[in-house]
Parts: sequence; C-alpha cells; structure tokens
Amino acid sequence: MENEQLTVQRAIQGDESAMRALWTRHAPHLDVVVRRLVGRDPDLAADIAQEVWIQIFRALPSFRGDAQFGTWAHRIAVNRTLNALRRTRRLAAVEVDVEDDSASVEPEAERAILAASIEEAAAKLSPGARTVFLLHDVEGYTHEEIAAQLGITAGGSKSQLFKARAKLRLLLAHLIDAPSAALRNTNAEHAAPLY
Amino acid sequence: MRNMQHLSTDRLAALGDEQPTPDEAAHLASCDACTRERGAYRSLVAMAHAEQGAIGLPLTRWDELAGAYRAEVPAPGRSSPSVVAPDVVDIAVRRRASRWPMQAAAGLLLLAGGAMLGRASAGSTLLPAGNVAAVASNTPIGMPTDQTVSDSLFTSVADARAAQQRYELLYQQAAAFLAQHDSTGLGQGNPVAYRSRLAALDRVISTTRDAMRDAPHDPVINGYYLTTLSQREATLRQLNTALPASLRLDSY
Repeated sequence: MENEQLTVQRAIQGDESAMRALWTRHAPHLDVVVRRLVGRDPDLAADIAQEVWIQIFRALPSFRGDAQFGTWAHRIAVNRTLNALRRTRRLAAVEVDVEDDSASVEPEAERAILAASIEEAAAKLSPGARTVFLLHDVEGYTHEEIAAQLGITAGGSKSQLFKARAKLRLLLAHLIDAPSAALRNTNAEHAAPLY
Repeated sequence: MRNMQHLSTDRLAALGDEQPTPDEAAHLASCDACTRERGAYRSLVAMAHAEQGAIGLPLTRWDELAGAYRAEVPAPGRSSPSVVAPDVVDIAVRRRASRWPMQAAAGLLLLAGGAMLGRASAGSTLLPAGNVAAVASNTPIGMPTDQTVSDSLFTSVADARAAQQRYELLYQQAAAFLAQHDSTGLGQGNPVAYRSRLAALDRVISTTRDAMRDAPHDPVINGYYLTTLSQREATLRQLNTALPASLRLDSY
C-alpha cells in the first residue's frame, strides 16, 4: 500500500499517474462538495469541479502534510467553489436575500413541497442561507470562518443559519420526525444512504 | 424557570447544536413540545453532518481534467504524459456534452474492459473479434471454449484494441437494453430489491475502495469502483421512483 504522502510527492514532481491516483481516490468526495454548494446546475458544477482540481494540482507544492490530503483538498474545494459562485453573482447580497426569504413555510404549502433529501431541501433556500447552512452544518465551518468567507459578520451567519434550519425543519419534517431513519447513520464514519 | 414562555423558533434552531442556558434547560425539562422540537433540530443537524461523508460520481473526467491542467500548467516536470489520453483538444465542448450518460457509459466501458482483462488474467478465453453471438452467450467466466486465447487472433495492438472497443460497445448496449427491458433480475418497481442492491453495491464500494489503497493505479479496480458508484446512483434513483412520494429518500 502506497502512502498517500508519497503519491502527493510524486504528483508534485509532475507524475500524472500520481495526480490521477489522487483524483480517483478523492473525486467521489470532493466533487460532491462542489455539487452541493453549486446546487442545481450540473454544468456549472462540473466546470467548477474542474477548476477545483486544477487548483489542487497547482497548489500541491504548498501541501505540507500536516493535515490529511483529503482535508486540505476539501478546503480548496470549498474556497474555490465559493469564489466561482461569487464570480457568477450567485452569492451576491448574501445578507439581504436571507432576510427577504426568511418567512416560514406555510403549513398548507408544506405538504406539497416536502423535500426528499437535505440537498433537495437546501435547494429551496435562498443562495445565502443555503451556503451558510451547508458550510456550517454539513462542512463543519465555524461562524467566524463563514463570516470571513462570505464577507458577513459571525452574528449574521448565525442568524441565517437558524432561519435556514427552521425552514429545513419543515421541509424535512417527514424525515426528521422519523428518527430511526434519519439518525441511523449519524455515528458512521462515512455517511450511508438513508434507505 | 418552568413557567417561561416556549422557546422561540430561532432559539430552538440554535439548540440543534448548542447547549441550553440553565433557564432554558429548566423549561425543556418540563415542556414536551419544546423538547420535541429541540430533538427535531438535533436530528436535522445530525442529518446534515452525516452528509459530509457522502460520495457520488465524480463531476470531472480524468482525460478532460488532465488536458485542461496541461493546457494551463505546461510544466516541464510532468513525468508520464502517456497516462493521459492524447486526443484531448476541445475540453470545453466535450465537457458540455451530456455528463451523466457519459459517466455511466465510461463506467460500463471500464467494467467491460476490466471484465475482459480479468478473463485474460484468469487464463480464460477472450472472445474473438467479430463473433457477436459469442459475446451474448452465457459462457461462464473462466470456462474454456473452443476458441482459445492466442496472439494469432490479432495481428497488432491496434487490432486488439479495436476488437476490445467493439466488445466494450456491445457490452454497453447490452447492459442498457437489459436495464430497460429485463424485469427478471432486479425486480423493477420493488423497493425491497432496490434496497438489497444498494446494500450489496455499498459492500462492493467498500471492498474496491480498500483495494484501491493497495493498487491505486489499477485500471480494473478503478473501473469497478467507478461503475459501482454509477450503479449505486442509478439504483438510488430507481428506488426513489418506486417509493411513495412521502417516503422518497435519495439522500446519501
């Protein structure tokens, strides 16, 4: 079994087979991060994912090995995706759009728009709220980190997170209120499908 | 403070991953409604956290990615350009092509290639070029047939590759046809069958992932891994359509 650090070293030296090995091993995880943050635009997600990987390869010489490669690459994926979304103006006016979009889901409408998954439910949030929720609750960023990434305050990040959770709690009520299904895999090292 | 008003929605949402103040804790101890809601938010946060480990089909294709990287970073240090497909010219155009079918097809092609390599490495027969009927036969893998593997079947590497590509394409078409028309295997529309398949695919993914740690460059293992991922996603979709709307669970 080849140590991943060796693979990284070979990739830094320009060995494309080593780069490919890193891509093969980590793309199923990292590309999901990109897809999740981008939302429902598979072409844009694919373009950004390619940007992300090129950035990862370019930045390899700066990888010191004091963290797992996957963790290091994950950060690059998030940063690069957010930058790309900012370029496409999908993250413009983050602070504002959540406030405009923070009304609770009406009970009558709730049943019609129940979401099948967190990803689908998050897609119903405004871009800003969705990004804050995904960064905090899924990717594990702190409010301070989110604030720095999105150019908002930590308090604003918290406020948006709580509103996002409130909306998602309604959209996913059918899953959340069936705890045996929802919590089945919460302690697993890797998430498994909720089936 | 047991008589305090119910906790606000924002506060309950915050308690999804925060600790309550002493006053809030006292209220929660005596209020079933707030306790239930707090539990719901904790479940939501746990579900979200579990998403972090999700895997899916890569959005990128290696040949396109490598081509784009080489175009952007023409560094002299790269050591093995032959690993990359040499015919990558117009990345943007190709990338815009339908991605999901291409990825699934790529997986099937890799699987077909892997199967053929596996047959060869196991000492079994490879199918001769042009014999379509033999491809469709039920000859078990590893069983000898009257046509043995021989260098004489092919006059050049190009011939062998051409034959391989023909059968990979045939395999792909057969798999697509079976997926559409064969209702005997998977139990179409049967959620139980889909769940069983998902569980089996997860075991395959786990095994191939372990194998990739030992042989990260092995094309056969990589092929099985990618194919299994694509099949898992397809099965998840099938399960989703088979379930009642209120029970659809395509999260992973």
